[in-house]
Amino acid sequence: MTTHTLTDAAPTTAAAPGGSRITAVMKLHLVNRFSVFAIPWMILGFVLLINVIIWWIIVSATRDPDAVADAQDGLQYSGATFYIFVYMMVLGIQGVALTFPFALGLSVTRRDFWLGSALGFGVLSALYSAGMTALAVIEQVTNGWGLGGRMFTALYFGAADEAWWLRFLIFFVIFLFFFFVGSAIATIYLRWRVNGMLVFFAGLALVLVGLLALVIFTDSWPAVGAWFAQNGTVGVVFWSLVPTAFAALTGFVLLRRATPKN
Amino acid sequence: MDESRPIFVQIAEQIENDIIAGILPEEGQVPSTNEFAAFHRINPATAGKGVNLLVDDGVLYKKRGIGMFVAAGARDRLVAKRRDQFQSEYVRPLVTEAGKLGISETQLVEMIRQEGAE
Amino acid sequence: MSAVIEVSGLSKRFKNVTAVDDVDFSVEENTICGLLGRNGAGKTTLMQLLTGQDFATRGSIRVFGETPVENRNVLQRVCFIKESQKYPEEFTAKHVFRSAPWFFPNWDAEFAGRLIDDFRVPLTRRIKKLSRGQLSSIGVILGLASRAPLTFFDEPYLGLDAVARQIFYDRLLADYAAHPRTVILSTHLIDEVSNLLEHVFVIDEGRLIIDQDADSLRGSAVTVVGTRAAVDAFVARREVLHTDHLGGLASVTVDRLSQSERVEATEAGLELSPVSLQQLVVQKTNIPHQEFEQSA
Repeated sequence: MTTHTLTDAAPTTAAAPGGSRITAVMKLHLVNRFSVFAIPWMILGFVLLINVIIWWIIVSATRDPDAVADAQDGLQYSGATFYIFVYMMVLGIQGVALTFPFALGLSVTRRDFWLGSALGFGVLSALYSAGMTALAVIEQVTNGWGLGGRMFTALYFGAADEAWWLRFLIFFVIFLFFFFVGSAIATIYLRWRVNGMLVFFAGLALVLVGLLALVIFTDSWPAVGAWFAQNGTVGVVFWSLVPTAFAALTGFVLLRRATPKN
Repeated sequence: MDESRPIFVQIAEQIENDIIAGILPEEGQVPSTNEFAAFHRINPATAGKGVNLLVDDGVLYKKRGIGMFVAAGARDRLVAKRRDQFQSEYVRPLVTEAGKLGISETQLVEMIRQEGAE
Repeated sequence: MSAVIEVSGLSKRFKNVTAVDDVDFSVEENTICGLLGRNGAGKTTLMQLLTGQDFATRGSIRVFGETPVENRNVLQRVCFIKESQKYPEEFTAKHVFRSAPWFFPNWDAEFAGRLIDDFRVPLTRRIKKLSRGQLSSIGVILGLASRAPLTFFDEPYLGLDAVARQIFYDRLLADYAAHPRTVILSTHLIDEVSNLLEHVFVIDEGRLIIDQDADSLRGSAVTVVGTRAAVDAFVARREVLHTDHLGGLASVTVDRLSQSERVEATEAGLELSPVSLQQLVVQKTNIPHQEFEQSA
C-alpha cells in the first residue's frame, strides 16, 4: 500500500514538539496586549480612583465617628472589583469563540487549542491574581488607602488580614472559575450558535429556579446558611473548583466536534 | 498564449523562434525553466515540459549544474523542419484551395509574386 | 512523484444538502492545482475536510499519508486561510503577522515583510475595519509566507484589484519555483489562473466532474460553428458538451478533434474555434456564461 510507504517516508524531523503548538496558542491569547493587559488595568485603576474619592467624601462629610465606622464596616461588601471578573469572563468567551476559527486557520488541532487556551487563561489568572494581591497588601498596610476603604480586601477575598499567599490563591481560583465558565459557554455557541445559547440560558434559568424551589420547599435555608458558615469564604471559593473543572471538561468535549462555520 | 494548444508546445515553439531569429545563439545559454515560467506567468512544470521537448529533439542540451544551452547546428535543423512544416501546412492547402477555385498554377505564382512585391 | 492527498469515497452531508458527494482523487506532491467550480459547488467544504476543520460523513482522507483530523503531525505542514477566515475581533494585521510564525515552521518573516509592502496592508488598523481586499491580502500573505508544504488558497483575491492579483500570481510563481510545494488554488476566476495550473479539478454540486492534467485539458474541447444542418451532421456521432442556436446557425462544443476530423470539418464548411478552460468549465457546469462572469 502506498499509504504505508508515505507514512514511513514522512519526515519525522518536521514534527515539532507538540508543546510548542500549545504554548503558541497560549501566546496567541496574549498577543493583543492592549486588550488583554492595558484596558483591564486602566479600568481597574479608574474604579479604584472613584472609590477613593467616594471614601474620602464619606469620611470628610461625616462628623459622627460612629457613623464613619458604620460606613467603613459596610465597605467590606464592596463589589467594586466585580467588573474585572466579568471582563475576564468576556475574554474567556471571546478567546474561544473568536480565536477558535483563527487558530484552525493556523492549522492548530482542537486539542492543542483547548490546552493552549487553558494555559493562557491560567497565565492570565496568575498575572491578575498577583496584581490584585499586591493591591490587597497595599490596602491592608495603608489601612484602606488611609480612608478605611476596602476593595481588594472585600469580604469575598478572605479575612481582612488574610495571608498574602492565601489571598493570591483565592483570586486565582475565582479568575479560573470565570475564565472556564466563559469559555465553556463559548463552546456551546461554537457548536450550536444562537439556538444553543437560547437553550443553554433557558436551561440554566430552569435549573436555578428549580434549586431555589427545592431549597424553599424543603425548608433548607438554614442548612444552606450553615454550609456557607461552615466552609467560610476560603472554603466556598475552593468549592468553585468543582464547577470550574466541570466547565473545562465540558468545553473540551464540546469543542472536539466544533467546526468553524461561515 | 493561444488557448487551443498545450502551453508547453507553445513555449517550445517560442524558443525555436528565438533560435531561428538568432536571439538565442548556438552554444549560448538559454534562460532557466523558472525564468521562462515567471516571464510567461505559467506553471514552472509546464515551462519545463516545453524545454524538455527541445532537449529530446536535440535542440537544447543540459550542462550539469550550469544550465541549458542551444546545441550546435540547432538553427539549421530547425529551419529545415520549419520548411517542411511550411510545405505541408501552408503550401499544400494553398494549392488545394487554388485548385477548387480554378486558379491555374501560373495565376497562383503571379498572385504570390504580387504579395511579395507589396 | 507521490501523492500528498489521497481521497476516496468522500462525502459530506449537511442537514439537507450534500456538499461533497462521493469524491475520489489524489494530488501529486509539488504541483499547483486548481480547484474550480461555482460558488457553493463544495470547494470550501472539500478543503475544510482536507484540513480537518470539518468532519466527513463518509469516506477516507489521507494527507501526507495520515488522517488530517486532529492530527498535529499533518496540520503543521498545512496552511489553509479561508476566503471567509475570521480573525479575533480586536486584532490588527500586526497581531496576525506576529503570531503566524509560531504556527508555521517554515515562516519567512523577511518575505512576509516584502509582501506587506507589496499589498500595502495597514498594520495597525483593526481587522474589522479593513476592506475586503485588505482582508484578502492578509490571507494571501499568510499563505505565501508560511511556505507550508501543502498550501490552500480559497478565492484568495476577492476584492483585490488587477494589480494586486498580478502581484499575487507573480509572487506565487517565483516563490513556488524557489521553494516547491503543493498549492491548491480554489477560484472561479479561471481564465486568470489557468496558465498557473498543472492540474485541474472541477467540482459541481459536490461531485468531481473534471480531474485532469491542465495541458491535456487545454484544447480538449472545440466549438464548431456553421449552418445548423452541417453542424448537426458533423456532431451526430460525438458527445456534445454545449449547444447554441441562432436562426439557421448552430454553435456546438464537442470533445477534442483529431487532425483528420479537423480537415473534415473545414471541408464541410464549418468553423472551428478553441474553447478556453473557463468556457469549458462553464459549459460543463451547465450555467449561462453571463452569470458566471458576473459572479467572478
